[in-house]
Amino acid sequence: MFFALTEDQQEFGAAVTTYLAERFDMEAVRRVFEDADGDGNPGSLWKAAAEQGWLAVTVPEEHDGLGLGLVEAQVIARALGAGVAPGPWRGTVLAAEAIRLAGSDEQKAAWLPRLASGDAIGAVGLRGDAPGVVPAVEYGAIADVVVVRTPDGLGLATGAQATPVGSYDRTTRLATLDVAEVEPLPDDAAAQLTARATVLVAADLVGIAREALSRTVAYDREREQFGVPVGSFQALKHALADIHVGVTMAEHAALYAAHAVDAGLDDVELAVAVAKAKASDVALQSTAAMIQYHGGIGYTWEHESHFFYKRAKRLAGLYGGVDQHRERIAALTL
Amino acid sequence: MDLTFTAAEEEFRSELRSWLSANIPDEWRRPGFWESLPDEESFRLRRDWERDKALAGFAGIQWPTEFGGRGGTPGMKAIYDVEMVLADAPRTVNPLGLTFLAPTVMAIGTDAQKKEIIGPMLRNEVIWCQGFSEPGAGSDLAALSTRGVRDGDDFVVNGQKVWTTNAVHGDKIFTLVRTEPGSQKHRGISMLLIDMHQPGVDARPLKQMSGASEFGEVFFDDARVPATDVLGEIGEGWRTAMLLLSFERGASGISQYTEFRRQYDEIAAVAKKLGRDTDPVIRNKLARVLTELECLRLHSMHVLTQTERGRDLGFEASMTKLQWSEAFQDLWEVYDDVLGEDDTLEALGDLDLRPLSAQAMWSRSVTIWGGSSQVQRNVTAERVLGLPR
Repeated sequence: MFFALTEDQQEFGAAVTTYLAERFDMEAVRRVFEDADGDGNPGSLWKAAAEQGWLAVTVPEEHDGLGLGLVEAQVIARALGAGVAPGPWRGTVLAAEAIRLAGSDEQKAAWLPRLASGDAIGAVGLRGDAPGVVPAVEYGAIADVVVVRTPDGLGLATGAQATPVGSYDRTTRLATLDVAEVEPLPDDAAAQLTARATVLVAADLVGIAREALSRTVAYDREREQFGVPVGSFQALKHALADIHVGVTMAEHAALYAAHAVDAGLDDVELAVAVAKAKASDVALQSTAAMIQYHGGIGYTWEHESHFFYKRAKRLAGLYGGVDQHRERIAALTL
Repeated sequence: MDLTFTAAEEEFRSELRSWLSANIPDEWRRPGFWESLPDEESFRLRRDWERDKALAGFAGIQWPTEFGGRGGTPGMKAIYDVEMVLADAPRTVNPLGLTFLAPTVMAIGTDAQKKEIIGPMLRNEVIWCQGFSEPGAGSDLAALSTRGVRDGDDFVVNGQKVWTTNAVHGDKIFTLVRTEPGSQKHRGISMLLIDMHQPGVDARPLKQMSGASEFGEVFFDDARVPATDVLGEIGEGWRTAMLLLSFERGASGISQYTEFRRQYDEIAAVAKKLGRDTDPVIRNKLARVLTELECLRLHSMHVLTQTERGRDLGFEASMTKLQWSEAFQDLWEVYDDVLGEDDTLEALGDLDLRPLSAQAMWSRSVTIWGGSSQVQRNVTAERVLGLPR
């Protein structure tokens, strides 16, 4: 029995965490967050994602990738979530996954090396039927290739007309796309792609939840009221302990779901639904607690709580919210 | 990632399965069978069956062979926990002895204690009770006041213990006793191994809200215990107790998961029978509990992974307890929502609801015993998260 990350996998995640801590901290996130005009993809971070293999993680080695699985990808997603990091990492990895799973040899050769190296930006828009309008695509405005849903499966859209979409969550940029032409991917991998996208969003949420908890605990150990640290009060202790248990369970669930996808386990559908339901639930709790247990400062613009809260709120609904995944769980077990 | 067991572990599973399928009468699997028996008879049946199981080599799975154990792996223990539930095997009648006392004796007992305690326990010749809680010392265990006074080669014990599992069936009781007069809190306590079959010990059943009497209270009125029957050092009983309780830390929760997952299916069957399985609110609530149960399953794989590598989970054990006990309680709260106006003890066609209702009542207890949820949250907050005391 080995249900854990290997040392290599842990190091992969630690490298992302270390990079963000040293080179892309909350001040850097804030600059993107408050930048009204920019594309939301800071060049230095994108360069690091390319150089350190974060983009190449699941691309096969024959196409210049690392040939790793969703387990490794969720390690990166978790670290990026913890850093509330901006940029089109997830869309690029998922676009490559769609092409790997469903593309022709020509499509793979054309796109996979470029996506793996960061030369091309990918995005995924699975709502709506293309050609037509595809709403609220993450980094849809700057993507070189967008994977869209067609009546027959999946297709690639290039050169779509993009209209920016507002969001509280300024750690990400959204655009609605008017897709005129679609190049179909020969094999139908819509369900497989959705499962992968769901797991990576769940992992991002897990990272957010853990970091929000850690920051809150650190603050409440120091912050004094009534002459003692507020973290010594049981009202906070019990709430934070429950969140710690929940976050730990969500970490298990995201890891297991990624493995279930990689290994094609029988219960993969249930595993993905459990991961997303639990991760969404606990990220909303943890980020709300981050605001509450920082007190007034937690509600200010200058504090970072709202980066975490807003990202969690948006991602909690992406690829199905808590209740939709619970309905899936009910359908699978009743 | 490797979620499989070794070939030797799977071999153990099939041996255990064969033995269980050949040695559990069909009648025992009938819902409500155990509830229909008088307490004495139920206990005797289980006691004898468990002895036979031990003689067949399916006890003390992880204990060293020198103590009559199987010398097995943590994986085998996990398999054992799962298979016992799946086979509807009777519950152990010696839980406190097997889980807590035996490994403590192996670790710090005298040679005589090892010889006299472990073998007879495995064969269920001696049923052990745990004498920790008192009327004035529950979560605050160190407030205990049962006292032992040295008299020649004996201690003479006076006081009261409560919430004692198997009190009326017990033969011996490992008991925390204040043996230094006037000592405070954690100091001056000894763990005495007291014979319950003597005039100075009176065990009485306590009727629980479920109607059952699985626990009771034990009164000591000049009970005598030889000073050689101390586990660990005299005056170091708190240290012994902490060691003893640490043996629960390896518990993975897989046994609970397996049991609760079956109960989920039973509740789902009731929902179907009543046509409430299509109610979106009920579906949502059941799925929320199923999510927590799946998380418990994954957590048990995490714990097993760590214990196989010889890591002590330490205070993380509080999380295991919180996860299984809270999920279990939630599950049975949803059961009431499923029943709605049909919340009676009447059978629903061929479905006997009484065993289910008994579980629903039992679920109120699990967040109290073995360290209440509130204590577990304190431990998690202070010892794991590092919040100030």
